Amino acid sequence: MSGSTREFDPIILEVVRNKLDGIANEMELTLIRSAFSTIVKEGLDASASLFTIGGETLAQAIATPIHLGTLIPMVGTLIEHHPPDNMREGDIFILNDCYQGGTHLPDIAIMMPVFARGRPIAISAAMTHHQDVGGMAPGSTPTNATEIFQEGIRIPLLKYRDAGRLNETLIELLRRNVRLPDILMGDINAQIAACSIGARRLGALAENYGENHLIALFDELLDRSEKMTREALRSLKPGTYRYVDYLDNDGVDLDKPVRIEVAVAVAEGSVHCDFTGTSPQARGPFNAVPSGSYAAACFALRAVTDPLSLIPSNGGCFRPVRLTLPEASLVNPREPAPVGCRTSTVKRIIGCILGALRQAAPDRVPADAASTLLIIHFGGRRADGSGFVTSQLISAGTGASDKSDGVDVIDTDGSNCMNVPAEALMMEAPIRVHRAALNRDSGGRGRHRGGLGAQFEYEILDGEVTLTYRGERHFFEAAGYDGGSPGSRSTAVIRRADGSTEVIPSKIVARLARGDRLLLTTAGGGGHGDPHQREGALVLADVANGKVSAEAAREAYGCTTTADRH
Amino acid sequence: MSEKRPPKPRRIDVGVDIGGTFTDVVCRSPGEPIRAVKLPTIRGDPSAAVLRSIAYMSRHWDVAPVEIARFLHGTTIATNAVIERKGAKIGLITSSGFKDVLEMGRGSRQALYRAILEPETPVFLAPGSRRKEVKEQVSAKGEVVVPLDEAEVEHAAGQLIVDGAEAIAICFIFSFLNPAHELRAREVIRARHPDLMVSLSCEVDPVFREYERTVVTAFDAYMKPVVERYLGKLERGLLEAGVGAPLQVMQSRGGLAGTKVARKRPVRLFMSGPAAGVIGGTIVGRMAGKGDLITIDIGGTSSDIALVEGGRPIIRPEGKIAGFSVRVPMVDVNAIGAGGGSIAWLDTAGGLRVGPHSAGSEPGPACYGRGGEEATVTDASVVLGYLDPDFFAGGSLRLIPTLAHEVIAKKVARPLGLAVEEAALGIHRVINAQMVEGIRLVSIRQGVDPRRLTLVALGGAGPLHATALAAELAIGNVLIPRHPGVLSAAGLLAAPIEHEVAQAFPRALGGLSLTEVRRALAGLDRGCARLMAEDRVAPQAVSVEYFADMWYVGQSYPLEVPLRMSERDPLASLYEDFLALHDRIYGHSTRSPAAIVNLRAVHRAGGSDSVGELGYEPTGTDARKTSRLIRVAAERGPVLAEIYDRAAMVPGFTFWGPAIVEQDDTTTLVEPDWRGTVVSDGNLYLERQ
Repeated sequence: MSGSTREFDPIILEVVRNKLDGIANEMELTLIRSAFSTIVKEGLDASASLFTIGGETLAQAIATPIHLGTLIPMVGTLIEHHPPDNMREGDIFILNDCYQGGTHLPDIAIMMPVFARGRPIAISAAMTHHQDVGGMAPGSTPTNATEIFQEGIRIPLLKYRDAGRLNETLIELLRRNVRLPDILMGDINAQIAACSIGARRLGALAENYGENHLIALFDELLDRSEKMTREALRSLKPGTYRYVDYLDNDGVDLDKPVRIEVAVAVAEGSVHCDFTGTSPQARGPFNAVPSGSYAAACFALRAVTDPLSLIPSNGGCFRPVRLTLPEASLVNPREPAPVGCRTSTVKRIIGCILGALRQAAPDRVPADAASTLLIIHFGGRRADGSGFVTSQLISAGTGASDKSDGVDVIDTDGSNCMNVPAEALMMEAPIRVHRAALNRDSGGRGRHRGGLGAQFEYEILDGEVTLTYRGERHFFEAAGYDGGSPGSRSTAVIRRADGSTEVIPSKIVARLARGDRLLLTTAGGGGHGDPHQREGALVLADVANGKVSAEAAREAYGCTTTADRH
Repeated sequence: MSEKRPPKPRRIDVGVDIGGTFTDVVCRSPGEPIRAVKLPTIRGDPSAAVLRSIAYMSRHWDVAPVEIARFLHGTTIATNAVIERKGAKIGLITSSGFKDVLEMGRGSRQALYRAILEPETPVFLAPGSRRKEVKEQVSAKGEVVVPLDEAEVEHAAGQLIVDGAEAIAICFIFSFLNPAHELRAREVIRARHPDLMVSLSCEVDPVFREYERTVVTAFDAYMKPVVERYLGKLERGLLEAGVGAPLQVMQSRGGLAGTKVARKRPVRLFMSGPAAGVIGGTIVGRMAGKGDLITIDIGGTSSDIALVEGGRPIIRPEGKIAGFSVRVPMVDVNAIGAGGGSIAWLDTAGGLRVGPHSAGSEPGPACYGRGGEEATVTDASVVLGYLDPDFFAGGSLRLIPTLAHEVIAKKVARPLGLAVEEAALGIHRVINAQMVEGIRLVSIRQGVDPRRLTLVALGGAGPLHATALAAELAIGNVLIPRHPGVLSAAGLLAAPIEHEVAQAFPRALGGLSLTEVRRALAGLDRGCARLMAEDRVAPQAVSVEYFADMWYVGQSYPLEVPLRMSERDPLASLYEDFLALHDRIYGHSTRSPAAIVNLRAVHRAGGSDSVGELGYEPTGTDARKTSRLIRVAAERGPVLAEIYDRAAMVPGFTFWGPAIVEQDDTTTLVEPDWRGTVVSDGNLYLERQ
């Protein structure tokens, strides 16, 4: 036990910690349940946090790990531009600019100072991925943007409400620059509701414990999480571990793979991720501003050292983590590089860090997951002139481990999104879903088989549709481990009404018309161990259940099935 | 207990609630106090416990089987079949292109930070080899695009049956808008296999989102043969034992149904047991004139929290069964991993944590003396003087206080540099903080300020924490039922018969014709009326309520809004009610266009405001047993608490905290500043001053 902890009543500390988590959960509940857009409600793409007045995370409720600590740089900007002494009760701040701490433009942060007896003691903040913030394509994450200006409206740090007075000019400006102004405002209101709940309950806590005492408790909680994180890091074998993987391309230069290289140095109670060797900043929107790499490193560490989440999650967990992000690289781009599609990048960064850490703890990290979340936006007008924008999120297979097969079509690592039900999509847009199925033979072969990817088929029924398709693993498959094969790659084809076909090279923005179809598959996870050592009964069950074809069973696993003899 | 035999045949109501460990039996005959007993549950054959209860009543209570007028039952058969994977072997038939929906699920995961994942969808219901597709397609407007291929249906069913399927689930895309294909598919199957059980998604859960609908329909089919066998056996047993009364079972929504109906909709029995408990808590509240309640049932490993508003439990449209989300309406019971057996431990930074791991009942808390080596909440309760070691569970288990002291000293107090009593108080405060947050989330989710609620404490450990929880939540009133341990069985006696039928009705509210709504409701009423008729309930005994699931155009989590057709302009009132509810739950509302998603009719019959005279016959001895020193959070040192015997407290008896009230099935801690009053029915009412 460290000397500093003696000064604190351990019981009050734990009671307050439980309350902070409860407050964050209550904020998150409000945020998700009262949201308007599909992406928040079905995709759970929103998070709520409480911050110390110094800008460190106190508690965070998240449904999506990529949001881990992601508001930190935005709150940092807030405190830098509006020192707490200048904040007034009734102030609400808004920010989405990626070069002022944001992530990508659809993620708008709402931040509210929390007051106790007239003094600001904390920040209550909520971030939501908004369905549309303008720019060149519906959904505001065009895969072919080359400048941030094409990705939507940039909101610098501004007062959304000034001492209780709404900034009507800003609101009017926002409304004019997005495709679905009512939905944007509905979601912003949900964020404000969430922040208000955080502020109200923190205020009550300050009244209960006294604000000075409370602030001291906050600091102690952060110190303790730091200490626990360092302790957990000591369970890893010290050393420097390297891993390299690729993104298919940057959405603009379609024939140029994007390299991600990381050297993870695990030392006494700390970890350093050096991204030297990673591609220079991309022309396309796959650049990730630094907050993304922080979230990636924190996720990977937690998955390996604290999978049951026993360490209270707060800013203290970030302290032992150090990153080297080369200037003007994919992971530290310069203005005005586009950053809209950074989720794919962050997911791959997590994969790389996990791949490196697998060398330190092979029994705790499975073979590579496909680690892609396919994002599709359909936006357009029906023949009667009415407009629609809708999205779909499709996961892929996970890697097999030394004990078990991978899992089929489940979101991994940084994201945790739900797909949009076929029925919901069809009711919202003139599109028919013909197929939503597992993709046979896509799992990497091995003693333990990789998880399967999915296959989908869509048909446009009416009007003109802009398709934004953001795929991954079309050119680089998820690696197997210890003799296991890689999972299959993703594929996507547009089949026009006239029967002609166009292959989608991982990313595209395309026009679709009535009768056109989109056929796609997502990648499988890597296999683990020698396929010939797989139990015959498991291979036969896979064939019976349609996960592995009879041919593959014979060729890859050396297993003859009944189906084979017919 | 009661010995006098009345001259003429009595009409006796019997409630039997089967839990994992105990079967609670409650018996009510007119003009007599209620009698209750706990019998051990026979694992593997729950129905034997029911039959044994009849023998018990006949032997000990002089109740002849023929006198039983109603036999009411809360059961865990459905939940256990899922937990133990003992449901039927089923086949699933879907629209072509969608057979894997059951396995793929929604793509998100519960294990957020694990690198090595496990499947999170209920694939065990129907693995790939038992899922078949048939050609058919219906559009988002409900029009047939591709007609049903009946030959494929016949072929698919044939294959599934050859493969051993005992029941078949059918889920077609947009069947909730146009059920024709599902209905026809069943006819086709029945023509060949008249005895095969078939569950249709358009009947089980006619609402959009294909994964959720497929899951609930598959669960329904999975349960059907099991529930059929169980209820059949039970009914035969009752008949053999001479009970001619109809058997009625508790459904997840908190209403009873006859077995004929229950067999048809087995998926509605998932929360049968917990629902009865919440109904019991509701009734106790009603007896005390309180309609807005939080019930908390604190057991060994977890606490079940439920909100009751206006005398009605909150019903949520979906719940969790053995970790799987299943969209079936059920009493909104939230379980958190905090109970009497929760283990206190220190994290690597030396912080005190409690739970979610529990010592369970084996080995149990250290003070049980069965080899438990972890410090639990119950051990803390012993150290604090709340539990009398010689009078735990009515004296059936003798606690060893030295073991409690030792384990808390070793695991918590010494490492933290605290006195043992301080550490024990700390354990209570931490576990209470978790329960408080759990309660708060449950009420906030419904937009309810917990301060205006009455806390009803249930379960063996509930009354021990009640005043502390209430104080923390700024709740001023607490109710401790006379018999918290058998409240579920008692709830059965007061529950109404209830049937609910819903229908997808996706219409924008603007321009919606009232005639169309009336027509849809009339259809739902016919559905409910048929179910009531099967339960032999006379139409004039039935009360009817309607609800609309509504959202703003563009939203996708609906709110359930009462639809009052007696209003002058029912749809205008519906919109206003929606706005008010949206504002209450989400903190904002605008006059934006809204739409109806589903319509629902709920028919109820019977039910009562009381479980009857709760067998309250004070023993006549002195209620004050003794006094002893205990520790409470509000005081630095020990305080002297009066110890009372609950069984001896006469109605009207009033006392002040600090006090401890002991009884066979629970111990109540009354902290300082609380005043307790025994109300006429034997329930204990606590008020904070």
